Amino acid sequence: MVTGIGCHAKLYDYIGTSGIYGLHGRVLPVSMGVKLGNKELTVIGFGGDGDTFAEGSSHFLHASRYNVDMTMLVHNNQLFALTTGQATPTSPKGFKGKSTPDGFFERALNPLGTALINGASFVARSYALDPKLSELIQQAIKHRGFSLIEIIQPCITFDDTREFVSSHSYQTKHDTTDLQAALKLSQEWSYELDASTKIPMGLFYKQSRAVYTDNIPQLDGPLYKKKHTPNLIKIFDEFY
Amino acid sequence: MSVLNVTIAGAAGSGIAKAAIVLSKALIRKGYYVFNYRDYGSLIRGGHNFNSISISDKPVFSHSDSADFLIAMDKQSLENHSAETVFSHNNLPVAEIIKQLGAPAMVTNSVFLGALFSALKLPLDWLNSSMDSEFGKHADINKQAAARGYEAYSASKKEIFPSNSKAKHMFVSGSEAFGLGAIAAGIDLYIAYPMTPATPVLHFLAAKQKEHDFAAIQLENEIAVVNAALGASYAGANTMVGTSGGGFALMSETLSLQGISEIPLVVYLAQRTGPATGVPTYTAQADMKFAVNAGHGEFPRAVIAPGDPAEAFQRTVEAFYLSRKYGLLSILLSDKHLSESNFTLDKLPALSVKPDRFIAKPSVGYKSYEITKNGISPRAVPGQAIVRGTSYEHDELGHTIEDAPSTVKMVDKRKRKLETLKLEITKLNPIKLYGKSENTIVSWGSTKGAILDALPHMADWQFLQVCYLSPFPAEQVENILNTSSETILVENSSTGQLTDIIAEQTGVRITDKLLKYDARPFMPQDIMKGVKKVIV
Repeated sequence: MVTGIGCHAKLYDYIGTSGIYGLHGRVLPVSMGVKLGNKELTVIGFGGDGDTFAEGSSHFLHASRYNVDMTMLVHNNQLFALTTGQATPTSPKGFKGKSTPDGFFERALNPLGTALINGASFVARSYALDPKLSELIQQAIKHRGFSLIEIIQPCITFDDTREFVSSHSYQTKHDTTDLQAALKLSQEWSYELDASTKIPMGLFYKQSRAVYTDNIPQLDGPLYKKKHTPNLIKIFDEFY
Repeated sequence: MSVLNVTIAGAAGSGIAKAAIVLSKALIRKGYYVFNYRDYGSLIRGGHNFNSISISDKPVFSHSDSADFLIAMDKQSLENHSAETVFSHNNLPVAEIIKQLGAPAMVTNSVFLGALFSALKLPLDWLNSSMDSEFGKHADINKQAAARGYEAYSASKKEIFPSNSKAKHMFVSGSEAFGLGAIAAGIDLYIAYPMTPATPVLHFLAAKQKEHDFAAIQLENEIAVVNAALGASYAGANTMVGTSGGGFALMSETLSLQGISEIPLVVYLAQRTGPATGVPTYTAQADMKFAVNAGHGEFPRAVIAPGDPAEAFQRTVEAFYLSRKYGLLSILLSDKHLSESNFTLDKLPALSVKPDRFIAKPSVGYKSYEITKNGISPRAVPGQAIVRGTSYEHDELGHTIEDAPSTVKMVDKRKRKLETLKLEITKLNPIKLYGKSENTIVSWGSTKGAILDALPHMADWQFLQVCYLSPFPAEQVENILNTSSETILVENSSTGQLTDIIAEQTGVRITDKLLKYDARPFMPQDIMKGVKKVIV
């Protein structure tokens, strides 16, 4: 497992498995590196919304494109909690935090749409209190390619939206191989919390395509098991 | 020692860099020593570039700005350079030859090389065999062009001195030597984002990856590069990243993560002229303090500064070795001048250390951060045991801690690791002394070439090359400086950063400095004249 920095990353200390407790925003490149180093490992990255969509936004764009065989679970509470409650790129309009006392008036990022457009091969949204979440995570891990699940996970300290999310979300029923349908779903909720909000939950899209390491045979197997015995005399030859 | 200098000048994209390599290879194969300096601007076509090539019967490590022969491919080159013998469109029917051959303008450089060979009374077949290996399927048309240039030149001729050696030499750039070192060290993965002058290592390794079964990849930015490298290294891969100052700055937060997580990492840092974009295709030694100090918090590291391709090769293997053995950040500090110049070597040196992976079979109850006497926690990889790597301060198992005694325990463990490292480095020739005299030139990195070529002309001077900048070989440096009557620092910077490090580490203050910060490397003349001027 690889975690960033934020409330989500406390998981690193709760789960007794191998992993890296990395830097804020850098979960995706670290996870990618672990997978390149040993493609036999199952790699799961955990990030928050600030971690993944703000500090780590450039990596987020490219992770979808690379389609490394890994799973990324984004714990989205729509705010920075470990730093005591500031706005993130997916905070709801009007959010009053310590850095936005007059309210947050920016437009939210569309992470799921962004992932879909850039080639993520498994894209889903779920809710922390949804009992079906664990099954969805298992599906994501089993999927060969970059799997993204945005997990809406209200912060009960700084902005408890549990009741709102429970009452405004619904399970999607559509063809999950249809990219256009998935894109449409990704635009249904712009992270606002008003009366008309409908939050689609479930698997948006799944596609089978080549993963990053498929095109690089030199990355086969755990790299630490390789025994390199370069014939230096022969290599030097071309320089004479 | 006889030296002859050839300057080949023209616009970017007109084939001057290639001509310099073809000429150099033709000569090194006949026992000559050649040094090739590349001077180019930050553009792909146009502008003014030149290569300055020193040819000698003895080892030569530097260039000169006074040329014996000048190949001027365009008008600008005639304005910017001069030489005893000049080849240009004014005295050679180059355009006519190209037209008659029905050849592309790209072979113009070969017409000029033919003329140069004629002027030096060298056999054309030396040039032909170099063209065969350098131009591949385009060799024939270049050989024809060279033959026509050879015939067309009829002005004064002067036979070149003999090479005095039957032995073939190697012709290697600093970049190639770093790449070869990485291969010799058993690299699994090279990750980079393009940035001059580090990019040639990426190109070299990308070209070699299939043959030697490792991967060379490019990611979205330097932050991704260094984080992915730590991930891969944690999984057990021999990993190296490469960049220049700007990219290194982006990596610096993650260097700090390396420090606390103790995941092995090798960074190749090729300096260029800063600050910011600076003079991007030119050289400087101004990032040394940055390399020694980059990253927040306190943690051990090795900063190694090779001075030529032989050292670049050997030190790269050392960098990998130390990083794996100590869970260490190893920085290989180069610059444009070392990385992009070509040197002649008799051969590459033997490896100074064995490139082991240092991955132990973990025992039951393995602890990633086991407290040990020497500060080194045995390395394991995920899959073998529960292996933890963390950016938080931690206990032996890698669990987050915040209490005072646990914090001190882990900081002390890393400090002991530094002490162990310091001891080992004393056995790796962290300094080198050339000559034995009463006065000392102190320097590091790519200035070595110009200093070595100047030294035979400087009675009473010896040269102290500092190869390890961190951990600093304080005692060894201090011993030499304490017995030196005059000491001068030579550095491609405006402040003389090594004097500060020496003062900090040894208490010895060097006040005489010969500094060059015009983005150009030193030449032997600069050293000889400069030292006289500073030391009155």
